[in-house]
Amino acid sequence: MISVERRVSRMSAFGIAVLCVALAVIPFLTTTTSLRQASQIIVSVLAVLGVNVATGYGGMISLGHGVFVGVGAFATGYYVDDLSMPWLLAITLGAATAGIAGAFVGIPALRIKGIHLALVTLGLAIVFRPLSKRFPSITGGVSGRSIEARFDAPGWWPGDGRMASSVYRYVFCVLIVVLALWATWNVVNSRFGRSMRALRDNDTAAAVYGIDLVSARVTTFAISAGLAGLCGALQVVLVPFVSQDKFPAQESLVIYASAVVGGLGTIWGSVLGVVARTVVAKAGDAVAGFDGLGPIGEFFDLLDESAFVFGLGLIVLTFLFPTGLAGIGRKDRLRK
Amino acid sequence: MDYVLLLQRIFDALFNSAIYSSLALALVIIFRSTGLLNFAQGEMATFSAYIAFVLLAGPQPRLTGGGLAGIIPGVPFTIPLAITGAVICGMAAGAVTERALIRPLGGASDLALVNITIGLLLAVNSLMAQWWGTGPRFFPAIFPTGAGQHFTILGARLRYSTVGVWAILLSVLVLLVLLLRHTKAGLAFRAVSISPSNAELVGIRVGPTLMYGWALASGFGALAACLSANSVLLEPSMMLRVLVYAFAAATLGGLDSPKGALVGGLIIGLSQTLIPAYVPFIGFELSVLPALLAMVVILLIRPAGLYGTKRIERV
Repeated sequence: MISVERRVSRMSAFGIAVLCVALAVIPFLTTTTSLRQASQIIVSVLAVLGVNVATGYGGMISLGHGVFVGVGAFATGYYVDDLSMPWLLAITLGAATAGIAGAFVGIPALRIKGIHLALVTLGLAIVFRPLSKRFPSITGGVSGRSIEARFDAPGWWPGDGRMASSVYRYVFCVLIVVLALWATWNVVNSRFGRSMRALRDNDTAAAVYGIDLVSARVTTFAISAGLAGLCGALQVVLVPFVSQDKFPAQESLVIYASAVVGGLGTIWGSVLGVVARTVVAKAGDAVAGFDGLGPIGEFFDLLDESAFVFGLGLIVLTFLFPTGLAGIGRKDRLRK
Repeated sequence: MDYVLLLQRIFDALFNSAIYSSLALALVIIFRSTGLLNFAQGEMATFSAYIAFVLLAGPQPRLTGGGLAGIIPGVPFTIPLAITGAVICGMAAGAVTERALIRPLGGASDLALVNITIGLLLAVNSLMAQWWGTGPRFFPAIFPTGAGQHFTILGARLRYSTVGVWAILLSVLVLLVLLLRHTKAGLAFRAVSISPSNAELVGIRVGPTLMYGWALASGFGALAACLSANSVLLEPSMMLRVLVYAFAAATLGGLDSPKGALVGGLIIGLSQTLIPAYVPFIGFELSVLPALLAMVVILLIRPAGLYGTKRIERV
């Protein structure tokens, strides 16, 4: 029996402390715009976490999680505006809708495995944009739709004006993300989480030990899609506008890349993946500011493209650290 | 039912069929020998098409000012010569990819191989966007595509370009078959595809053989991109949709069957034109959906496809 103390390593504790301080300080240092951007980055952890649950714990490669982010965002917008639901209910149902969509993808995943599943989910990512244009009453068609309802600070929230509402949304998103991380950590360390990993490592053996493959795979995919859907729902909270052009196939691939670069099979990895993505984007911005370096400058400009850096990062990390950034300081637990 | 219109649509579909067949062939050659699905095939092909573009037009400034593309020496080539050059560059790139990224991994897990090819897809895609801009470029057609440039058969127009593309595809296929059947390298490649370990035991050098395979496959991809760049317009993500069709075609025909790739490409090309024409909901833009559904259904009920080898799993 592993004691609880040993489950949270010293590295993790240090990391959690640093993150907590950063999260607490951010709202005091920024404007409404950059606070919104910070919130969006924090929210994107959920999508990466979703991939991590499906791929890192469930062993099902998903290249299409941008789709579930999109479903979550569109559904939340629909519930809160067209059905005039309260925000909390709309967010919950939005995530649940994405979860149900994920369950439907999970059903073929019973037979379609490994590289073939990667193929099908990539196809899903590519088909999503044209498909969503076919339902303009929900998705706003080509140009997207703005959401009338606003997620504003209630009366008891200290301060007023735009900044107070921004801080309120920020705190709300941070709370939800922390809750989701904690819940996922509990799920993957539960009996069900062990059956997920058993499935990943050897599904025949898992079946022999009495794990119901059908329900385990479908549930895993539903949870993972639900997390991505929650990310989409919170995006609507932050920016009341949804549009199909926010969900190109490349976005799904970058989400996947973030999950792998951060480290599959650890909750930490998802946070690290997003931190890495942010650092890379900021560094790219800074470097792209220099002019007059000729072809070398051109190359540095590429660093501004997070897709390029993550593509390269995927390749390099696969060679050097198969367990991702989260696995660097650690003995290779996952390496087979 | 208007049969002339139907025939016309079939003729129109044949052009795309040829493109899907040749990209599917690229995927199949790699899957058969290396056992991986090359998700970066489309982007590698697009890169080759850009090379042809540079060869044709000389170094092109990016849409916003000069750039790295400026240091690539560009000579105004004729179209067939430029495409040949692009195919050769594409083949070299394919060989280098195998040697540098795939072989060192050894028989790694599916996950690692997916990561490598997805990484390559993302990196090459944004590299092209950075060098050549994301805006669509006009790419000249290799065959005349003007108003009167067609044969008329039973009242329907069969374009010269469709006939030409099929002529190229079929002659390259004949070359491929000759290569595989009648040369020593071809024999080695067939042996490695069937069983790498047994091939190694009889003295075949597996690594270089796979490298030839990758070069061949990338050549087919480059050809597909160069031939389709005129109709879909050259842009960094132009092959992403085509890749789905090609994967659907390869899956339908059987992922390890070259014949299947050809037949699958035909079927998918036809359905891509005919289904949107007769099912209004699908429309042109959503024509990827039937291809994706076809892929899922085949993987579910007959993973080996039409001509593929059935896999027997040991439990």
